[in-house]
Amino acid sequence: MGRTHIWAKCAALGLAVACLGAPTKARAGQASDDRMVLEGVPGHAGGRLVVALRSEPKTLNPVLAVDEPSREVIRCLSADLIHINRASLKTEPALAKSWNVSRDGRQYTLQLRRGLRFSDGAPFDADDVVFSFQVYLDEKIDSTQRDLLVVGGKPITVVKVDQYTVRFEMAQPYAAAGRLFDGVAILPRHLLEASYKGGGFSEAWNLSMAANQFAGLGPFRLKEYVPGQQVTLERNPYYWKADRAGNPLPYLGEVMFLFVPSEDAQVIRFQAGDTDALSRFSSENFAVLQKQQGTKGYHLDDLGPGLEYNFLFFNLNDLGAKNLPEIAKKQSWFQDLRFRQAVSAAIDRDGIVRLVYGGRATAIWDQVTPGNKLWVDDKIAHPKRSVERARELLQSAGYSWKNGALVDPRGKAVEFSILTSASNAQRTKIATIIQDDLSQLGITVQVVPLDFHAMVDRLQSSYNYEAAVMGLVSGDADPTSEMNVWLSNGETHLWHPNQAKPATPWESEMDGLMEKQLVTLDYAKRKQLYDRVQEIVAEELPVICLVSPNILVGAANRVGNFRPAILVPYALWNIDQLYVQ
Amino acid sequence: MTRYLTRRLAHAALLLLAVSVFSFALLQLAPGDFFAPLKLNPQISARTVEGLRAQYGLDRPWPVRYGHWLRGVFHGDLGPSFAYNSPVAPLLAVRARNTLLLTGTAMLWAWLIAIPLGIVSAVRRGKWSDRAGGVVTSALLTIPDLVLFLAILLLAVRSGWFPTGGMVSTAFGELSGRGRAMDIAYHLFLPALALAIATLPALVRHIRSAMIEVLQAPFIRAARAHGISEYRVLLRYALPVAANPLISLFGFSVATMLSASLLVEVILSWPGIGPLLLEAILAKDVYVVLGTVMLSSVFLVLGNLVADLLLFAVDPRIRMES
Repeated sequence: MGRTHIWAKCAALGLAVACLGAPTKARAGQASDDRMVLEGVPGHAGGRLVVALRSEPKTLNPVLAVDEPSREVIRCLSADLIHINRASLKTEPALAKSWNVSRDGRQYTLQLRRGLRFSDGAPFDADDVVFSFQVYLDEKIDSTQRDLLVVGGKPITVVKVDQYTVRFEMAQPYAAAGRLFDGVAILPRHLLEASYKGGGFSEAWNLSMAANQFAGLGPFRLKEYVPGQQVTLERNPYYWKADRAGNPLPYLGEVMFLFVPSEDAQVIRFQAGDTDALSRFSSENFAVLQKQQGTKGYHLDDLGPGLEYNFLFFNLNDLGAKNLPEIAKKQSWFQDLRFRQAVSAAIDRDGIVRLVYGGRATAIWDQVTPGNKLWVDDKIAHPKRSVERARELLQSAGYSWKNGALVDPRGKAVEFSILTSASNAQRTKIATIIQDDLSQLGITVQVVPLDFHAMVDRLQSSYNYEAAVMGLVSGDADPTSEMNVWLSNGETHLWHPNQAKPATPWESEMDGLMEKQLVTLDYAKRKQLYDRVQEIVAEELPVICLVSPNILVGAANRVGNFRPAILVPYALWNIDQLYVQ
Repeated sequence: MTRYLTRRLAHAALLLLAVSVFSFALLQLAPGDFFAPLKLNPQISARTVEGLRAQYGLDRPWPVRYGHWLRGVFHGDLGPSFAYNSPVAPLLAVRARNTLLLTGTAMLWAWLIAIPLGIVSAVRRGKWSDRAGGVVTSALLTIPDLVLFLAILLLAVRSGWFPTGGMVSTAFGELSGRGRAMDIAYHLFLPALALAIATLPALVRHIRSAMIEVLQAPFIRAARAHGISEYRVLLRYALPVAANPLISLFGFSVATMLSASLLVEVILSWPGIGPLLLEAILAKDVYVVLGTVMLSSVFLVLGNLVADLLLFAVDPRIRMES
């Protein structure tokens, strides 16, 4: 006995409608009954959409891609078994038309769509799925996707049940198992098995390959790559989705990614009408573009806060083995909860929103932004900035003031430096505002912008820092994507990573909560557990959450069905439905 | 001649070797490597990051890696790009071609404009046209390249007469052969112009002073006294003598042209080695950086070598020395 996912049922219903509507439009070689039907306004077929990428894609191999430009292109070329719908932030069927979960939550049985073909015309079945997961999980390949597929310390196993059924088994029940499949692109076994077995996989599908060596299950397929200039994709005639009128998707005949190396240049190209969609740009550029919104043929959208949270944190590492006596002395401040509370109370979050983001950001007090509607905890208090309260807190902790400067109980003046990444102008500005805010408490702060690689080295290896301003973008709306941040033995438990056992009672409680939510299958119960994690973050302030920038996007008016979302890829997630007039 | 050439080539090889050692060492001195940012990704484990580092040999000490790289260079392998999962050489080849197209065009323009301008202002030395030229060239010399390039970009954006970046338009694929050439020329115009303007003033001033020096020489007076026409005196007698310092200048201008072109390419999105280098430096894709630096050094050395050989051909004194 298993329970069928509700989304699968909806889709099945939609499919039935599609078959009645337009059975004649089904393409040769594709079983029409297994096509997925999308709601939305039917659009015009043909045309070309042009978008800019900040840098070139580095590879088209989904197993090896680590950078966002590569993934942006790969998303148009490939498909996953179960997909996270960017509008609802929930899972929906993709290559798997339905799935059953065993009672204990450890076994997923997926029914694949029948009669699908890769973009080169070769048929797709369970063998491709098994092959794909074999590659992703291969330790020798070092795919960064592998870590997502390791549940409870063991990689998930894949078994072919029949030609169109596969079964996944996990070492422990896993709450967000459906979400694991998102972005795990299914590979064509017929094209990649030889290079995988022959050991040449690390260079397979890099950009110097010929277009005909490549095939995927995505809405588009590779047409041409011109080094340093652009990559052009063409419509995949074998794609497995249709609109509600029965027209095969995607509508667009071509998608062209231009390589435009800087944000400002991208904005200029968008303004000039060279590109049709724009995302990842600053509020300053938003304001510039807004001035001409009426006269030029584009429109802009402010989607509100995304999943990025920016925060200040102090070095709480155990520095016993490191030779850093100066920082170790200052840790007596950082470890004092009242000190962190005072810093949090003294920072003007609204000022940051106004000055750094021109109002296009949202102040936050814990790691879940209001944009993440499924998981945000509404009970978290949002105290206003109060220098008085900060002073009271410091006084109660034994601090005092000498000539306006804050001194600790041992008489030492309070002074520390904040690291930021020099390449991120916003975070450097945030640090500067914190510097100013804390000077009102008599604290002297130095802002140290560093090269990003050097900063990572200090945060993660040498621990040679006092405080840092950083931001994380959750890979998904679900808390499982944040496990490594909140578990005390996590590698990105930034303030004190890789703990052998929890250093504080509240970290120990957080460990328990995170582990429990991971294996709890009921959403309401998980929400309760994760709410408590958010409360701990807001109370204990291991990271002092400050601000979440709004997701800003723009599109030419000629682009239809444009429905940007707060999860990457912000603008092009429904590229199979986009059309141009 | 052969001896001279061998000596120059040996110098060049030593220079390139030194450049490579220094670049490699400096790249290693900066903390963090290409894979460091992955450590901050909550969804990627430390084991995977270590695995990737080992795959590319980043866990070995840098002299070992340098030796490995150097051995590869002699077999035509410039090392791997971590970002592109591919060898560096083909990455560079296409972009170097675009950079050469840009710098070659700009260099041609700059010299074609600078030589007549320099000669004219030398002949009219002290007259108002020479002074006006002097003011304009010093003004251009004082404007930083960055400001100049941004101004040109602004012109393109505001006027809409020129493309704001790229090497071809999006409809390039549908154009005929002739149309494609026109399209590239249209996109080439602004970056090449920017680059030519950036190098022009220094050239004009050098040509002017070289010509002035020659025009004061006794043999020019003698030529004039023989009643040879002024036009002939300038081009037949003065210019070949003045060519000597200009040829050395040509060698140097290759260097300034290359460094200015990196900036132009980034600002006007020209798909040359500039954007590749910038991205590789920021990402610490070391072999790409090294390959680009070496390629630029080779261009530079070749430019100087050509200049030296030309000097060897036109100047008997150098021939005597060797």
